[in-house]
Amino acid sequence: MLHRRITQFFILYLAGVGLLLLFKIALRLSDYVIPGPAEILRTAHVYGTAYAAAVLNTLGVAVLGHVLSIFLAAAVAVIARLKDWVGGFIRTAAFNIQSYPIVAVAPILFILLGDGLVTRLLIAALICYFPLLLSFLGIFSEPVREIEHFYEATGRMTWRLQIKIRALENLQKLNTVVVGSATLAMVGTIVAEFIAATAGIGYRIRIALYQSDLAKILVALLLIGIGTSLWLVLLERLGIALQRKLEGP
Amino acid sequence: MRDPGRPLFRLRPGMVLVGLCLVAGCAPPEDVKEIQYRLKWLYNVSTVGDLYAVAQGHFARAGLQVSVKPGGPERDALKELELGHAHFGVASADQVLRAAAKGAPLVVLAQLFQVNPLQWIYRPDRSPFREPADLRGKTIGVTFGGNDETILRALLARHRIAEGEVRLFSVRYDYTPFYEGRVDFWPLYINAQAPIIGERLEKAGEKIAFLDPHPWGVRFVANSVVTTRQMLESRPRTVSRFLSALLQAWRDALDPANEEAAVRVLRNADPETPAAIVRRQLAVTRRLMVPDPPSAFGRIDAAAWRETEEILRTQGLIERPVAVEALFAGVLP
Repeated sequence: MLHRRITQFFILYLAGVGLLLLFKIALRLSDYVIPGPAEILRTAHVYGTAYAAAVLNTLGVAVLGHVLSIFLAAAVAVIARLKDWVGGFIRTAAFNIQSYPIVAVAPILFILLGDGLVTRLLIAALICYFPLLLSFLGIFSEPVREIEHFYEATGRMTWRLQIKIRALENLQKLNTVVVGSATLAMVGTIVAEFIAATAGIGYRIRIALYQSDLAKILVALLLIGIGTSLWLVLLERLGIALQRKLEGP
Repeated sequence: MRDPGRPLFRLRPGMVLVGLCLVAGCAPPEDVKEIQYRLKWLYNVSTVGDLYAVAQGHFARAGLQVSVKPGGPERDALKELELGHAHFGVASADQVLRAAAKGAPLVVLAQLFQVNPLQWIYRPDRSPFREPADLRGKTIGVTFGGNDETILRALLARHRIAEGEVRLFSVRYDYTPFYEGRVDFWPLYINAQAPIIGERLEKAGEKIAFLDPHPWGVRFVANSVVTTRQMLESRPRTVSRFLSALLQAWRDALDPANEEAAVRVLRNADPETPAAIVRRQLAVTRRLMVPDPPSAFGRIDAAAWRETEEILRTQGLIERPVAVEALFAGVLP
């Protein structure tokens, strides 16, 4: 799985870089607009280690933000599935918060929380939280009638049991949603770092953009791709292992 | 098969015109329908001459139709020039030198700022500053990767202040860390931002002052008007007309006699900045841009360019030396 995903990423990455180089040759552009292969390799050699450390830093925050948003979305979805006033209010609040662009919300967060880890974490969580919430809401609001009917008829149904039944019946769907939102966590963290952090690959990209250094950005993209692929494969494996454990022998 | 009745060579009016031009020694027409001019930053006082040239008809009188487009953090006029999306652009010297070091075929037509507007605001009562040595132990804001970082590092190096002797603080657009006193020196553009921030702090009863690196031996060239070598060689008269009109517009915009017109032009493009602030901005901009004599507006300070190149090279921001004189356009037709 890992080998395949990394290979697929490399094919896409090399195709993208190849296209840029074709463009460079066709339009006779200087290394300033599109760097040549030698420039990209030199940049990778000089900055590769520092950028890899920055990607790991970002990945760490993204993973934490992702886990945070999973718990947050699950908790909110459990409450919001209720058909009463509280459920409706939470759904409305969730939609409203999501409608604000993060670039507008981020400066407020930075004023309140500074430009450290907490803000990066929060922005990462905010960006990947909403798709998770929507999916969790859909799953937790949809009754599994053939199973729930038995517990309801025997008076043994509790809200915890109801959530368990619905989660277990939709485990595959939940796994897909969680894995899918992992990339959003990574994107969210990079955006946060880009706007106002002093660490991480988003911060390094910002500096590279100030210096109009596309070679650095290409190196960053390569490492982000590798980091994200590793995280996705790990998540998929965890999901499969969990599913197998719950389904039993 | 050729129609025998048709003449082998038919004289057309266009051919007659070209023939007459050749006989008269004039160059072929330089057909540019609309000139694209990409600025370095959003519309503000540092672009007043560019906007004035359109609004007051300087370009039109030169027979040019020019679209002046704002820049911004995600825009790079130099890349647009090379990609053919713009004919002229504004860029700072460090941008030009970085691009030239990577083979970008650029030509500098004029230097707008004679003195770099980048300075650091500070509170003299909290962080007194008499000489660069006073920076030791202070927290100084820099935009990592930006030219303020380069200028500050050059200033520190020139006065033998080790990087470990100051604390560098990563700066964004939000001034809160400075307002809160967490940062002693905060970078800003003295002509554009200082009148706004200064007014706010003065209203709050705070004393402010500015650290200008220029008197302390750091000459770092700011905005210049740039085009490509191909544009200069293929359309020299268009370049010449554009530059003459632009520089005249700048002279007029910064002439105190035209201040009200300049304020109006700027307020049309940037209605959020009050007229009183714009007037203060214009006064500072005049000091930074207008040379002595004013007719030399746009003069390229070759020594300052060489110094800028040396700073970039010393800090490892360009890998190979750039022959700065080769970047200058020289005398235009």
